[in-house]
Amino acid sequence: MRRLPVYLLLDTSGSMTGEPIEAVKNGVQVMISSLRQNPQAIETAFISIITFDSVAKQVVPLTDLASFQMVDIKATGTTCLGDALKVVSTCIDNEVAKTTAEQKGDWKPLVFIMTDGIPTDDWQSGLEEFKKRKTAYTVACAAGSGADANLLKQITENVVSLDTADSQSIAKFFTWVTASIGVTSTKVEDGGKEVTGLGELPPPPSELNIVT
Amino acid sequence: MSYLSNFSNTPRTNKKTAPSIINTGKTYEYVDNGEPMRGGMKDVYFGPDKTYVVAFYRDKQDYNSRERLKKLVTTYYDSFFNREGGDYFKELYCWPTDMVEVDGKVGLIVPAYNKNFFFKKGYVTGEGIKGKEKQGLWFASAKFRNKQFSLRLDESELGSWLSYFQVCVKIARGLKRLHAAGLAHSDLSYKNVLVDPVSKSATIIDIDGLVVPGLYPPDVIGTADFIAPEVLATKHLPLRDPDRKHANRTTDLHALAVMIYMYLLYRHPLKGGKVNSLDTEQDDLLSMGEKALFIEHPTDASNRPKLDQLSKWALPWADVTKLPYNVTGPYIKALFDQAFITGLHNPIQRPNADMWEQALLKTTDLMQPCSNKQCDQKWFVFDNTTSPKCPFCGTHIKGTLPVLDLYYEFKPTVWKPENHRLMVYNNQYLFQWHVNRHVVRNEKLTAAQKVPVGYFTYHNHKWVLVNQKLTSLKDLTEDKEIPINTMVDITDGKKLLLSNEEGGRVVVITIANK
Repeated sequence: MRRLPVYLLLDTSGSMTGEPIEAVKNGVQVMISSLRQNPQAIETAFISIITFDSVAKQVVPLTDLASFQMVDIKATGTTCLGDALKVVSTCIDNEVAKTTAEQKGDWKPLVFIMTDGIPTDDWQSGLEEFKKRKTAYTVACAAGSGADANLLKQITENVVSLDTADSQSIAKFFTWVTASIGVTSTKVEDGGKEVTGLGELPPPPSELNIVT
Repeated sequence: MSYLSNFSNTPRTNKKTAPSIINTGKTYEYVDNGEPMRGGMKDVYFGPDKTYVVAFYRDKQDYNSRERLKKLVTTYYDSFFNREGGDYFKELYCWPTDMVEVDGKVGLIVPAYNKNFFFKKGYVTGEGIKGKEKQGLWFASAKFRNKQFSLRLDESELGSWLSYFQVCVKIARGLKRLHAAGLAHSDLSYKNVLVDPVSKSATIIDIDGLVVPGLYPPDVIGTADFIAPEVLATKHLPLRDPDRKHANRTTDLHALAVMIYMYLLYRHPLKGGKVNSLDTEQDDLLSMGEKALFIEHPTDASNRPKLDQLSKWALPWADVTKLPYNVTGPYIKALFDQAFITGLHNPIQRPNADMWEQALLKTTDLMQPCSNKQCDQKWFVFDNTTSPKCPFCGTHIKGTLPVLDLYYEFKPTVWKPENHRLMVYNNQYLFQWHVNRHVVRNEKLTAAQKVPVGYFTYHNHKWVLVNQKLTSLKDLTEDKEIPINTMVDITDGKKLLLSNEEGGRVVVITIANK
């Protein structure tokens, strides 16, 4: 059975304290319960959560939707986005099955990154690692005015931005991520419509701006 | 149409009006709160009383597409529904009834789905999907019926195995009618067919993708899992390349066969363990396209599912050794062979919708209720062995089992087998379509033809047939007329003439499991 791995890289730096971090936690919960209403997603999607502040760590390993349990996350420290890119690279190596002569491998992973600030570590070296991994697509979300959409553009061509990192905007982002996973879990198996970029995803809600 | 959910924080209720471009002066109200349900190509809004939706295409529709849609809501609508027997078909489709236009955007008026196509309970635990549409995949996957899976459906939603035969009959009938009109659906999949095993019904949705072969080019290649191998194998060619294969009647027939296989066996007929390329995307394209191979191919076992690589929740259905496709009985097995062996890469060999309908119905005559009250499937197809048992729970049939083989008069005094068998169980009914070969069991049956003409029952330690309506029932073995409201013993080797009218059949009785 081919799995569709989905990695969520979430900024838990100190600037996320308060409303933003609560909105992220809520967003993940709503996303999971919404995906649990989608049979295609239940069949294929596996979700992992990686948080990054002063360090990055995988707080939820790649897990099927039925078994997924969110852990508590707290906002503290700096914004080690580079470390997060390294961690997700390692996770992809360890968790995403490659196709071999004997076994059908997993689909290429989807990676969603959300950050409200500027990376405080050597993010280029993390990016170098990350670039060596194949993903179906990577979407970066610049949440609020503190994030640098142009910097994120160097990680992926698919960058969306939220004007403010408030609960309503963050909720919209997660709704859109949910829809993207839903669409992709159907489409990724469809040889005719391989998903590679934002053009194939559902249109983002009005609060999200696509950075071009 | 499977609508993606939206979580609106700011509902701005706003009633709007859309004018019909077919019926001058007619308008439709719809509620626009700024967050329509988003389908693949359309934004969908409810009418104020939710009896219909207005589905607007996000993209501008060209002349060709508009003409095609116009035809669907006018000419084809009339020929399907505004004629004798049309009401029956209304249940089989969710057919757009009118076409509107607002600010250059074309929309369709589509009736809301019947109540039975929304989950009453849904998951065994929690609210989850209560009230959501019964998209086919919920019922085509082994996971959602596995007792160890936390997101499994409640038993009250699942129906019995027999229900799925009836569901498949409805789908086959719906497709048969489309094909009879020269139309192809082009995107038949479990997303585009809602099914309800409880009321044993199915309805084909997303009718607006219909294609008229030769007239309008198909604009979709289909949904993963259901795309015919030849379409996948040639999709790299330019759209107008003569070798490029498009969706048509025969690709619908591939999708139908896959769908029936999945609803009866809860696994995909082509998704096995064989790796055709080390590149995942390429492997998938080959395995479903050019190199597609039936997982239960009798002589080429290379694509058998590898159980250690499957989700544990896919069991027991993923195990083709434990539950091989011949549990569906001889008529359906023969059609699966035709669809997935001879016809897999040879589209004209694929069984048509009418053949599926007849095979499914004939198979219901071979079914026996399982005596194990805990059996999940509750019904099974008689396996033609001397010691018959339920393949799902292993319970053996208790007591004797009358088997009736149907014969027709080929020429005077020469009777030939119909290849149709009726398995008897307590309170099994006999119908006109068993009695006379000119009565075909399909959607054209009259109400009178749906009334049983007799029934079988186990009475005073013997099997009997009670005659309710047969005017010329005769026990040929004992040369005795059996009048209405009397009964005849069902014994080994006995021959009964069910009717002396033209087309009347003889049954030959065998008692199995003695």
